[in-house]
Amino acid sequence: MKFLRQLLGNATQRVFALFFILSAAFVALALPAGLPLNWETAFSVLQNFSTLGPVALGLGLTMLVREFDISFAGMFGLGGCVAVLVGATSPALGIAAAVAVGLLGGAAQGVFMTRLRLSSVAVTLGGLLTFGGIAYVLTGNRNVPLGNLELAMSMNAPILEVFSIRSLVAWALFIVAAVVVGYTRTGRDMIATGSDVQASVLAGVRTEAIIIGVFGASGTLSALAGAMLSYSLSTASPAGLSDVSVPAVAAVILGGASLSGGTGRPLGIAAGVLVLCLLRTGLTTVGVPPYVHELVTGAILLAFAIGDGADLMRRLTDVERFRSFRLRAPGPRSS
Amino acid sequence: MKPPLAPILEARAVAKSFGAVQALRDVSFAVAPGEVRGICGENGAGKSTLIKILTGVHQSDRGTIVIDGAERRIEGPLHAQALGIAFVSQELSIAPHLSVEDNIWLGHRDVPLLHRRRALRQRAREVLELVGLRHLAVDVRASTLSLGERQLLEIARMLVRNARVLILDEPTATLSDREIAQVFATLRRLKQQGRTIIFITHRLAEIFEICDSVTVLRNGYEVGSYATSEVDRTGLIEAMLGRPLEQMYPQAPSTAGGPALVVRDLHIPGSVRSLSFVVPQGCIACLVGQIGSGATEAVRALAGLVYTARGEASVGGRPLRFGSVPKALARNVRFVSEERAAEGVFLNLSVRENLLATQLDTLGAGGWMSRQRLTAAAGRLAGMVGIDGRRLRSRTRELSGGNQQKVAVGRSVTSHGTGVLLMNEPTRGVDVGARAEIYVLMRRLCNQGYAILMTSADIEEVVGMSDIVVTMYRGAKVAEYAGDAIDRTRVLSDIIQQQTAMAGTA
Repeated sequence: MKFLRQLLGNATQRVFALFFILSAAFVALALPAGLPLNWETAFSVLQNFSTLGPVALGLGLTMLVREFDISFAGMFGLGGCVAVLVGATSPALGIAAAVAVGLLGGAAQGVFMTRLRLSSVAVTLGGLLTFGGIAYVLTGNRNVPLGNLELAMSMNAPILEVFSIRSLVAWALFIVAAVVVGYTRTGRDMIATGSDVQASVLAGVRTEAIIIGVFGASGTLSALAGAMLSYSLSTASPAGLSDVSVPAVAAVILGGASLSGGTGRPLGIAAGVLVLCLLRTGLTTVGVPPYVHELVTGAILLAFAIGDGADLMRRLTDVERFRSFRLRAPGPRSS
Repeated sequence: MKPPLAPILEARAVAKSFGAVQALRDVSFAVAPGEVRGICGENGAGKSTLIKILTGVHQSDRGTIVIDGAERRIEGPLHAQALGIAFVSQELSIAPHLSVEDNIWLGHRDVPLLHRRRALRQRAREVLELVGLRHLAVDVRASTLSLGERQLLEIARMLVRNARVLILDEPTATLSDREIAQVFATLRRLKQQGRTIIFITHRLAEIFEICDSVTVLRNGYEVGSYATSEVDRTGLIEAMLGRPLEQMYPQAPSTAGGPALVVRDLHIPGSVRSLSFVVPQGCIACLVGQIGSGATEAVRALAGLVYTARGEASVGGRPLRFGSVPKALARNVRFVSEERAAEGVFLNLSVRENLLATQLDTLGAGGWMSRQRLTAAAGRLAGMVGIDGRRLRSRTRELSGGNQQKVAVGRSVTSHGTGVLLMNEPTRGVDVGARAEIYVLMRRLCNQGYAILMTSADIEEVVGMSDIVVTMYRGAKVAEYAGDAIDRTRVLSDIIQQQTAMAGTA
């Protein structure tokens, strides 16, 4: 019981627990039915992960500092377009260009917010439309083929059965982020900024630099995810190749981030993304029609949100505190 | 007198103006190592301007700051810290999601990028011990700490920065008595180490309890600096006000009316159990207890803000249902919160809009407001609570704490003859002049037919203002006193329960 409470108390552990429960559930459903359960299923989950993961990570970092970056979907599309347009001859140059665009675009938004004291939602909503708009202009509103099938093959080639270059990069990003948030002064200052920005300023934290940096990172991560997806599909579309907006938000919330800031850690977000990707692949594998997917995903998110409700927890714990209190109250305090 | 130590920090003829307002005029003062200096004065006297100059937030127009005998120009807050001057503001700067250790080192310039170091942890433990928080694990999250512990943690943070002068702005305003004792014990320990403390407070009793000397400011002038052994309470108040104070607490009326508020068996899960009391019309009753005693929660419950409250209550003989503010308002039960900024007034609205916010229903017809009646009502209320009519259009944020509190009280006053006014901490963060005005206002409302139920952590205020005192300890009523039976020592021993505890173990 205590173990369970400990587990539920920690957002990261909880979402990993959800992941393993779901995995077990799918295996239990798939095995008796003789459905295909092999490395390819895991590979497919991780391929989805490599698209959604970095985007969710960027969003999660902005939520950690108590901001919200809506522009990620626009930057995701723009990153893909820039990479394909620039990278026709040199793929590395394309990636570099996409990353530069993401970094500059994200950091520019951060500068607007901190210098002009604007809300991140307003600024990044503008960013979403602007980045998306630039992608349309750059491509002339067409899908742009990369025409480099070898590159696409190598991007998607399995490594150790379940990984690919893309998913290894995504995992590396998560691990770097986890180390930064968990073990460096920068990470501590990020949590402090999200926890109480005024207090952090008073304590001497350079919150403006933190916010600009986090938005730069968020832009970079989204652009990189878009670029890698475009390379692996060998095409770019200004409309974006995959709808990441709702799944990314869902993954971040599952991962323990909250709009009130200070919570949500990179590994929790990774687990949140895994849960969503597993649901998508798993439901398909066991034969649930795609149009029912959203219903199932929505129900799981809702259950999670209710369990997370501060009020629910407070009510449960209040009852308990009151009970123990009544037992002790008549006597003098022992301490 | 004290041994003639060279001053560690000195301000010489410091002056500062903001636009046309002269906030400080040639203020000089000096503090010695190991000295605890109180600074007092009404709001607007220039206390915060002086502190902001000492900590580098503002630059003085004229005059000089001298540290360790050398003239210094303080560039900004970080520079002040480097010079050994630390400021603990009223709004604490503790990040709730970080651990105690991380909070101690937060914002410190010498922390390496990879900051999980044994040396840092060791140093954090040392300063925790110094501020009396030895029992805290350094890994525990700051959100689990009590307000008093956070205050001490904030001081600990300044100690790792080698602060030699600690400036504390109303550190006790939100603390319980036990926590205040803890903070004071820490301050005495720091003083023994030779650190200097500058202590700003509105509570004069604390000046005499903890300070060696006190500097009084008024209207930007320095009235004088006194050793606390040479001055008494009345002298200090008169120095602050610039005129003799007639009486802080207005006379209580001799007659009480019938029961206005009757509470029977109030239960709030987790905080209050079986609380019963009666407040007669025209009386001021006070629930007194430490944080956790349930006193503030009980008042909030009567205001309709606690939906888990159970029990019976009636106002003027008519039953009052818990858990609904509109139902409370229908009985003319009105609430002035202890969280003035968050729940008391709309800081971004004008004084006029604030004063009228709770009684718009009486100022128009069919959903339309009558401009004429609004203006008339606002003027009347402003006059009643003593706010300058010319300030009606100012944003409430620009007012001093005392004036904001008057607005908060003013909007609870209606033309109804009777009602119940609930006030949690009616004078928190309010200076001595405005405090006396609020006391007069409370009495006037009582004479008008209101009954007032309040809570307060300021024991002097409790004894001075209350006609009835209900003491509480850990959710239950301890005793009830009325009139002359209200006694400081008994009230204190009731709410702390130390004597009882000793009697129990003996």
